[in-house]
Amino acid sequence: MSLDSIPIHVVPPGEPGLTGNAPPLLRELLEMVRRLLETGEPSAIDLSALPLTPADLDWLRDKLGAGEISVTLQANGESTLNETACPGVWWVTHHNEQGAVTSQFIEVAFVPDLVKAHPQDVEIGSGYLELLVSDL
Amino acid sequence: MNELEFLTWTRGPGLDIAVGIFLLGVLWRLIEIYTLGRKKDLAAPRHAAGASGLHTVFRRSLPPPGMLKRSPVSYIGGYIFHIGLAIIVFLGAPHILLIQNLVGLSWPSLPSQFIGLTAVVTMAAMVVMLADRINKPVKRFLSTFEDWFTWAVTFLPVLTGWMATQHLLLPYTQMLALHILSAEILLVVLPFSKLFHGFTLFGSRWYNGRVNAHKGVPV
Amino acid sequence: MQGPLIDTLARRGVTRRTFLKYCATLASMMALPPTAGRAMAEAMAAARRPSVIWLPFQECTGCTESITRSHSPTIEGMIFDMISLDYQETLMAAAGHQAEEALHAAMQDNAGKYLLIVDGSIPLGQDGAYSCIGGRSNVDILKEAAQGAAAVIAVGSCASFGGIPKANPNPTGAVSVSDLVKDKPIVNIPGCPPIPVVMTGVLAHYLTFGSLPELDDKGRPKSFFGETIHDRCYRRPFYDQGKFAKTFDDEGARQGWCLFELGCKGPVTHNACATVKWNGGTSWPVESGHGCLGCSEPDFWDGGGFYKALSAPADPLKFAAAAAVVGAGAGVAVSVANRVKKSAAKATHETTTLADLEK
Repeated sequence: MSLDSIPIHVVPPGEPGLTGNAPPLLRELLEMVRRLLETGEPSAIDLSALPLTPADLDWLRDKLGAGEISVTLQANGESTLNETACPGVWWVTHHNEQGAVTSQFIEVAFVPDLVKAHPQDVEIGSGYLELLVSDL
Repeated sequence: MNELEFLTWTRGPGLDIAVGIFLLGVLWRLIEIYTLGRKKDLAAPRHAAGASGLHTVFRRSLPPPGMLKRSPVSYIGGYIFHIGLAIIVFLGAPHILLIQNLVGLSWPSLPSQFIGLTAVVTMAAMVVMLADRINKPVKRFLSTFEDWFTWAVTFLPVLTGWMATQHLLLPYTQMLALHILSAEILLVVLPFSKLFHGFTLFGSRWYNGRVNAHKGVPV
Repeated sequence: MQGPLIDTLARRGVTRRTFLKYCATLASMMALPPTAGRAMAEAMAAARRPSVIWLPFQECTGCTESITRSHSPTIEGMIFDMISLDYQETLMAAAGHQAEEALHAAMQDNAGKYLLIVDGSIPLGQDGAYSCIGGRSNVDILKEAAQGAAAVIAVGSCASFGGIPKANPNPTGAVSVSDLVKDKPIVNIPGCPPIPVVMTGVLAHYLTFGSLPELDDKGRPKSFFGETIHDRCYRRPFYDQGKFAKTFDDEGARQGWCLFELGCKGPVTHNACATVKWNGGTSWPVESGHGCLGCSEPDFWDGGGFYKALSAPADPLKFAAAAAVVGAGAGVAVSVANRVKKSAAKATHETTTLADLEK
């Protein structure tokens, strides 16, 4: 039996509009970018912890714009780490295997931690390379 | 007791107890009052225009000549809050649902916005009447504990019900539980206080009208 | 299984980035600052495995099923590899006396340091004879095991609040863990069954920060149980607009309107179903068209019916008829008394004459 035969059509109750919670985030981002420049300390805003409507998120995404780099990570579902028009500000979205958004952040960093390779993993990689070299 | 247990108690055992005491009290007092009987008036009945039980029932709903000017607050405020209470209790959708749940009867309701507005007007009228009772030396002198108490017991269900539907102060469920509890207190107090006039009012008007009509006096 | 968790995970094909991503999401769900995700990942990746003893009492194993089989292979399930699960009847290979020995060995070796997980309520009736393991009553076992525990985690509504065994009339005299254990920190993770990630979150918090997460007044982690289902429900706008499904197959139900009038207990239920959802984020009860039963609240079985609106009377009036009869009886009795008094007064009435008055 296909799900289509179940006569349920969820009608979205009309998207709530802008709440005014998004603009202050721009100020916070400015602070965070300044701190990154001065001390090199990265920081992040957890978007799912804030009362933001889809309209708010669209507004924010629209303001921040799209940058040059977009990183896609395939790890237990897709994750996207997209640089915005402000270099150093990254829009990070984690999806689960079903494609639903599990968490969403704005990260302020030269490169998000998740993108960097961990020394231990690099070590494993070097071991693999050594193996390849020894086979030459 | 957490909020769910509190609400469950007010919806279940609390309601049972309150309705039980209410029915017990109402039947007891009605039977007691109406079986008292009165001595038969052996005098020959006189007749006068407008003198009968039914006339008095209606006439006493209107202010006697001149009284409206002398104490406008009592009359106008009294009308407003009595009519308001009747509208809220009998034409509010959740109340009709409750009655339907209990006894199976139902009828059309008024929009909830209108009921909300009525509640505000009713509460305003009750507050004005309370202020009047406090300000007027004669009214204050005549007031007993029962007057203040019954005012509060009547006012609280309106206030909590309105606050619950407007989502003020407390979460809806807690306010709803308080509303049900306050209505239950009202049910318990009603048969044993002056609030019983809701049941005896027309009976006693009829009685007074009848007794005086026999003497040829329209009251 | 030895070595840091990250190696174990790597052997199972879970990469470091997958783990980092998981921890970021977990920290977000637990309302921890975004930096906590990284701290969590580092601490957990290198964590020394704490000993965990899992005691099943009056339960249905649904809680164990929820956590171990939620959605395989989950990281939730793998997190269990980072603890040394020294006793879990459902999962352990040992049986009989061997199992009991494992329990006692773990309790002695890790005295004061192990985490005690309990699922199921504890019956007190008949000296606890309703539920025994190896000839000992649950209440004895719990008291002994709790003594050496660093903290107790009550998993499921039965362990947290008594659950279905405690439902009226509670034939076995079932009580919750917190009714018996008073001198240890207790975390309640109620739900029937509880959401797997809540369990992982509490373990992750304990391993990362060496403490239990912040709890509400019923001992539940605030980060997961801080808000009601109703507060976060995607059908909430319909509630606010006054659009309710009246039956399970009417137009309102098909349009996905609010289920309040069909008995949804969302407004009084604190849990994370509306945000975390079930089965790997597939759906959750309200999304599939059924109201919330309130399973993570104490005594939800006796909450006045699953299909009755919270504002409707829970029970048809039980005393009403009796009260009416008693009231009518009282009225009749008093009026008879009044009549008797009146006729007595009439009988003793003496006619007053003019002569009497002049006396």
